[in-house]
Amino acid sequence: MEKNFILAGFGGQGILLAGTILANSFMLDGKNVTWYPCYGAEMRGGTVNCEIVVSDTEVSSVHKQNTDYALVLNQQSFDRFVERVKSGGTIVANSTLVKETKPRTDINYVFAPMGKIANDLGTNKVTNVVSLGVLSSVCNIISELSLIKAVEKVLGEKKKDLLPLNINALKLGSGLYSAV
Amino acid sequence: MENGKLKMENSDKILIKGNYAIAQAAVNAGCQCYFGYPITPQTEIGEYLSGKMQELGRGYVCAESELAAINMVMGAVSTGVKAMTSSSSCAVALMQEALSYAASDELPVVLVNVMRTGPGLGYIYPAQGDYNQSVYGGGNGDYKIIVIAPSNVQECIDYTYRAFYLAQKYRNPVILLADGLLGQMMEPANFGEYPYPEVDVSSWALSGAKGRDARAIYSCAREEAKQIQHIIDLHKKFEVIAENETSYEEFGVSDADIILTAFGSMTRNIKAAMKVLREKGIKAGCFRPITLNPFPNNRIEELSKLGKDFIVVEMNMGQMFKDVKYAVNGNSKVELVNRPCGEWLSVEEIVSSVEKVMEKNYAASI
Repeated sequence: MEKNFILAGFGGQGILLAGTILANSFMLDGKNVTWYPCYGAEMRGGTVNCEIVVSDTEVSSVHKQNTDYALVLNQQSFDRFVERVKSGGTIVANSTLVKETKPRTDINYVFAPMGKIANDLGTNKVTNVVSLGVLSSVCNIISELSLIKAVEKVLGEKKKDLLPLNINALKLGSGLYSAV
Repeated sequence: MENGKLKMENSDKILIKGNYAIAQAAVNAGCQCYFGYPITPQTEIGEYLSGKMQELGRGYVCAESELAAINMVMGAVSTGVKAMTSSSSCAVALMQEALSYAASDELPVVLVNVMRTGPGLGYIYPAQGDYNQSVYGGGNGDYKIIVIAPSNVQECIDYTYRAFYLAQKYRNPVILLADGLLGQMMEPANFGEYPYPEVDVSSWALSGAKGRDARAIYSCAREEAKQIQHIIDLHKKFEVIAENETSYEEFGVSDADIILTAFGSMTRNIKAAMKVLREKGIKAGCFRPITLNPFPNNRIEELSKLGKDFIVVEMNMGQMFKDVKYAVNGNSKVELVNRPCGEWLSVEEIVSSVEKVMEKNYAASI
């Protein structure tokens, strides 16, 4: 089994951090995983993305042309990565900023108002964590428990006070889709 | 590490970027001084060490140029301490003169090159275009550098340790040849402890002449006979290095008709391609030089004499390809599958290229 994920959005939306949490959760599940960012002249307000590959054996290519899952938090990322989802794959989009269109018929679409949910929690800074919750509910190889542990690990001692907020964000994200 | 698979049950594993892994491994190896100048895609090494070295009371200098950085490393290591610099392709080009001097001076310089695209300024995409620069060097004269190429983040740690050890053990510069992909990616890895003994440098280090005769380190002998002997000695030393330190890994070569060969991070792609090819009934194997210099010529020659053909897969225009061809020496066929830079050749692309080569080379015999 080898699956890959592309996470994309505006610089500042916490895409690379979301990827780090996801990769950590796979590591905690005992899987082989790689995290690879787009790097270079990216800046706040521009687009940013990272790719996570998870595998039972050693990860082959770290950077692939097509993806099983795309998690996109803004319109530009949707437009760019909808083309790179494998036939039969899934794109998960933040409908707070992405129009609910379906330009291809051979992939699955999940639209969830991640930005709005985060705002309702008091800060849109947790949009990325809400999005991971949504992703975990549509992808059965992501364990919510490991995601929570990964969030705890990434926040560390210094930002421990933010843990309840983030766990809440994760749970709202994952509960949302299964409730739909 | 067993067959390249990461063992995950060890709770000491952390998810870490290749660049940070190299930097922390240097700290663990006892690197006392770091000198460097920022350049993408390796800047995190200097960034990490700028804090860490200060915290530990060790030396860190953000040099005014790469030229200065490598010369500072030469100065530091000549006193017997471990020191390193890191940079990327076009800036490593600036260090070539110093590497020739360091090799002639027999200085244990450690240089990390996180390759990007060239020639010239190139771009920040990962590539493998510095094989020739590392193995054959851009400096003058007959000199050789030990070159080690990691293929995953765990090896970034393991081979950084090895680089520091070999540099002092043989008094020879060592290049750790990574690439932008390895530098920027995160993967679970385990630091363990620096596994090598400390090398005694007291017989040559310029550690202060109190209580003994003064010493000097020269890169030239100033007499014809001595100069000849110096060059011969350097080469004899490298023969010993080749005898003791040449390393490679191979998978599924015993029954293989065709052997995919790659170095560095491309190794992971050929391993995956090998599996796909085997499922399709093509008897493929994998061979991967870990030390690019000394190069595993003997093993490649042995395999070629068994009639096994080679396909070299690399992200350059065919640099290691020539060394494989030299080692095969006409015993079997050697083909190249490559791209100069940019997106790494995917497993699917490698598989389809190999199939095309098989069709071309074996159509007549089928």
